[in-house]
Amino acid sequence: MDWECCWDRDVIAMGDCPNIHEGDEDLLTSKRRRILEKCSECDNFRRDLGRFSDSSHPLAPVFYLVHSEYQRQKTQIQSLVSFLDNKTLEIRFMHELGFVLQSSVDLEEVLSVALTAITAGKGFGMNRAFLLLADREAGMLKGYLAIGPRNLEEASHTWNEILGNDMDLKTLAMNFRKNKLSSERAKFHDILEQLTVPLSSHEHITIKALDSKHPMLIEDAFHHPEVNPNFAALLGVDTFLLMPLISRNRRVGLIIADNCITHRRITDEDMHSLETFSFPVAFAMERASLYDKLQIELNRVTEAGKKLKEQQELIVRMENMALVGRITSSIAHSVRNPLMIIGGFARSMLKNTPSSDPKRDFIESIVAETHQLEGVLDEILNYSDSLYPARDFWDVGQLVESALRDTSEVLMSRGYASGYSSENDLPPVYIDFKQISYCLRTVLQSDINGMGDDRTIAVRSYRDENAVVIRIEDRSRNVTQAELDHILVPFSETRDLGAGLGLALCKTMLEKQGIPFVALAVAEAGIIYTIKLPTYKEEQQ
Amino acid sequence: MSKLLVVDDEANIRLLYSEELADEGYEVVTAANIAEATEKLQLNSFDLAVLDIKLKNESGIELLQQLVKERHDMPVILCSAFSCYKDDFSAWLADGYVVKSGDLTELKHEIARVLAKKAQKVKAGL
Repeated sequence: MDWECCWDRDVIAMGDCPNIHEGDEDLLTSKRRRILEKCSECDNFRRDLGRFSDSSHPLAPVFYLVHSEYQRQKTQIQSLVSFLDNKTLEIRFMHELGFVLQSSVDLEEVLSVALTAITAGKGFGMNRAFLLLADREAGMLKGYLAIGPRNLEEASHTWNEILGNDMDLKTLAMNFRKNKLSSERAKFHDILEQLTVPLSSHEHITIKALDSKHPMLIEDAFHHPEVNPNFAALLGVDTFLLMPLISRNRRVGLIIADNCITHRRITDEDMHSLETFSFPVAFAMERASLYDKLQIELNRVTEAGKKLKEQQELIVRMENMALVGRITSSIAHSVRNPLMIIGGFARSMLKNTPSSDPKRDFIESIVAETHQLEGVLDEILNYSDSLYPARDFWDVGQLVESALRDTSEVLMSRGYASGYSSENDLPPVYIDFKQISYCLRTVLQSDINGMGDDRTIAVRSYRDENAVVIRIEDRSRNVTQAELDHILVPFSETRDLGAGLGLALCKTMLEKQGIPFVALAVAEAGIIYTIKLPTYKEEQQ
Repeated sequence: MSKLLVVDDEANIRLLYSEELADEGYEVVTAANIAEATEKLQLNSFDLAVLDIKLKNESGIELLQQLVKERHDMPVILCSAFSCYKDDFSAWLADGYVVKSGDLTELKHEIARVLAKKAQKVKAGL
């Protein structure tokens, strides 16, 4: 019998078999593989088989039966392979999705991944998806986010763009979040607003799907008995899928997906895959949401901890203040009273001691020394006060005028004239009024030797950036800068220069509070003091 | 002659005040604590009181409050070892405040000033 097919030849040439093409060259010399892979599909072989069946050979019907069964099983295997390939792809995708979802605790990122996965070609390939979130506190299912093209043109553009950039799911989602999240939200804003439904509306199709906890495929939506026509009109499609997102038996949200552009049929397989996908998404969403809440609580706890630390520091500070107060009180009472008694009686005795009495010098020494000790005691007590300044905002004019008023008697007794001028609208300064007032009084009354003829003290205040400067010009003094600097060193011997003891304390007190204090000796012009008072709290800086 | 009540827990300070203020022409009666001061206030009429603030376990501020209530026509000067009470609201009830010093000039000026002010008030019929 002459055969049309080449199945009986061990080796064939290219062109002998109509089913062997370029790339199949190895089949030309492999008879077994050629028969198994190509002959059963070949028309020449079928015709040869037909003639063999007609040849009345007893094996012919058996062979025909075997060949038919082989073809059926081959088709079935191909179908299974295709199914397995699809499943492999799906598992790979779910693995990638699971990995991305597991590694994220950011709700926006989770939602971006979820919606990208539904609409990406390599994902579920749906055209459009809406995400609705359950707000349990407000009792509403709220439209939150959507993704998808409005029309075919936009769809073509987007899909071509995705095809042009071979990106994995994570990159796609990141790209969506970075470049499209806001615009997609704005694009679907109107629809999302109208998709909001009370969770108590159990007749609404979205709540029904959520209550059932299973996906629902809605077909012929415009005539569906359970779908409100307005809802169908809002989506503008007659077929869509409702996919509830349930985590630990709690309603997290709902995804509405459709193929509004391609109108591809949503299969049972699509539904099953999306249902599998919905579990990790719902779980990731709930976890991200809980993480957000945890973060808020953590911030609250951190803030509370910070406040607690401040309170603790305040308590320690107050305890220190109380301790300093007790020490000060003890010094004041234990030292000042005896000093007063010694000095007082010495003065009393001095009054009744004639100048010729040789003991008068001793009594005068007692008076002078007790006076000096009282001055030192005042300085120590004032210094202890300065350790814990009580600052607030004060008016500079009020500060200077009160210091001038308090010192006017002393200044007048020394033959001084004083004057004050100020720039308009000076801001309030942040100071311890009592301490700065003490410093001003000390500067105004400083009894430094070298008094000249011009007994004028001019005080001026003006603004300088974030501060107000008080400038005091004492024109009567005639000291060198070196002598003045010596006076400003705490506890240095200053008797030769006069009783300028308080100036060193003032400088220390002011500098401790970060207030610059400068004393400048100017030849023929006396001493110029400048005190720069802040107009802000440290924390406002 | 103006009659002054001096209340201080230190005996030597009471003695110093008595000597110095008597030299200024005042009649001085002293008390060491609130009970003694109250007793002397019941027996005498004073033109002015000079009070210490720390009176062992008592407070001159309490006595000041009592005097303001019961003897509102009698001015009071606080004379204390502490300058900090100047900023205490409760001390503002007093007519004057002097920090203790061996030099009694300031106290004497303050007594003279407060008594002059009282005299002016009396003259004005207030």
